[in-house]
Amino acid sequence: MENYIVVKNLIYNYPDGTRALNDINLEIKRGEFIAFIGQNGSGKTTLSKCLNGLFKPTRGEVIVDGLVSQKTPIVQMVKRVGYVFQNPDHQLFNNNCWDEIAYGPRNIQLEEEEVKTRVEEAAKVVDLDPYYFDEHPFFLSKGLRQRVAIASILALRPHVIIVDEPTTGQDFKQSIEIMNFLTRLNREEGHTIIIITHDMPIVASFAKRVIVLGMGTILVDGTPQEVFSRPNDLARTHIEPPQITQFAQAVSELGFDKGTLSVNEMYDQFKTISQGS
Amino acid sequence: MTVIELKNYTWRYLDTEKPALSEINLKIKEGEFIGIIGSNGAGKTTLSYSINGLIPGQYHGIKKGEVLVFGQEVEEYDKGALQHRVGMVFSDPEAQFTAMTVEDELVFGLENLGMSLSQIKERLEWVVELTGLGPLLNKPPYELSGGQKQRVAVGAVLAMTPDILIMDEPTSMLDPLSRTRVFNVLEEIKKEQNNTVIVVEHSLEKLVPLADRLMLLDDGELILFDETQAFFEKMPLILEKGINPPGVMQFFYRLHEEGSYHDKFPLTVAEGVEKMHSILRKS
Repeated sequence: MENYIVVKNLIYNYPDGTRALNDINLEIKRGEFIAFIGQNGSGKTTLSKCLNGLFKPTRGEVIVDGLVSQKTPIVQMVKRVGYVFQNPDHQLFNNNCWDEIAYGPRNIQLEEEEVKTRVEEAAKVVDLDPYYFDEHPFFLSKGLRQRVAIASILALRPHVIIVDEPTTGQDFKQSIEIMNFLTRLNREEGHTIIIITHDMPIVASFAKRVIVLGMGTILVDGTPQEVFSRPNDLARTHIEPPQITQFAQAVSELGFDKGTLSVNEMYDQFKTISQGS
Repeated sequence: MTVIELKNYTWRYLDTEKPALSEINLKIKEGEFIGIIGSNGAGKTTLSYSINGLIPGQYHGIKKGEVLVFGQEVEEYDKGALQHRVGMVFSDPEAQFTAMTVEDELVFGLENLGMSLSQIKERLEWVVELTGLGPLLNKPPYELSGGQKQRVAVGAVLAMTPDILIMDEPTSMLDPLSRTRVFNVLEEIKKEQNNTVIVVEHSLEKLVPLADRLMLLDDGELILFDETQAFFEKMPLILEKGINPPGVMQFFYRLHEEGSYHDKFPLTVAEGVEKMHSILRKS
């Protein structure tokens, strides 16, 4: 598969001169499902904002779909990479859901007819009942507000969708719903998905590739199995594997795989090991 | 000594038809570590606000029954008096910020408690050490990341070390090690100073090893409230209510389901390791 995003020697300094990202090199292909993890302040959100052109590199390059972010108008960037804020309330500002979702398409000056198509399409993808179009986003549950936030990004039809902490404040059932929804966007609609999260069981269950950031650099880049089977590297970055993985690692001398990611995998190994002993 | 007691407590917000909490009866003793779990909308935050006096103080609604904190009905406390003894960390940290710098935010509560400057300095140093907020002290809270804001919110309430600490999803935006650190501090405070700690959480991995008792709220009702080990004997009910137990426990529940495990469910990874060794030795 071709690379959709290429990041070359990216350095980003905040306006006050603090270095947030230090020499990031990264390639992302179409159709990947990636998790950015790392301790608070490690640069996850800053990197994401560089990917959608909100932040321009201090040095180095971010190339998206062949376009160099420094030289490309933000309007062209956000059509390719959408970023959904950590807290939907930081993103939603219109008086009703329709205007909220229509804001992006109107902003890039699409005809009102096309805007309507885009809003209806995006609402359908996030399963937002048209009943809510006239409602004020403030009165919806956090889960629904997040869907509206995602719909407002989808309405620009970006190929890459970055969701910052999709499961924070959601209960277990809601978390699984939102992750299944992102999986559907990935598999059925072909979107490249990037999530930023501290929820390691979610990473283990849904991501295909994990990028660990620390001190503004990429520390580890691999599959969840590869990343979580290196607990010592992770500890440096304030990350710990999911509990079931920690458990498998603690009994690995009995024959359990250090890269075990789920209760099912643990159970299957247990069956084999207990029959063999 | 009972520090919190609810008797037939029902609360309905003014503009809703169904009570947010109905007919709640419970007692919490001094020095207990209590976990409140349940789906969103179950009434967890409403219960927290009821104990801290925000309900009925700041919300319109209809109350029935009694909420006694240190033996006194919350409504009968002088304005602000209850909040000195019952500290609250909100799930949205921004909701509690009032100051222009992180340092002011951390000492605001201490000044209100009428502490001397030297006491304030001592507490501030302690809490900065605990939360790792040193480099951020001069920043305005609104410039911080979500996780940093949450550390400030937790730090500001820890600094006051109120007799009762209520934390509504205090670690939802924190990385795993910062999360562990917050829970360790809560455990320390409870052990060393006998403070009562109440934590609302969706993520049970850190909560389960520390909680003396867990309560499960469902649709405004208290459907289960028991010592942590006994609580998980009701696993089918817990799973039915959409709760996700820690992975190790789920593994042993799976063995239990198929009839090959009959012991207690491990509450920690270490307990799980012990059980695993004994099972595989026997077979």
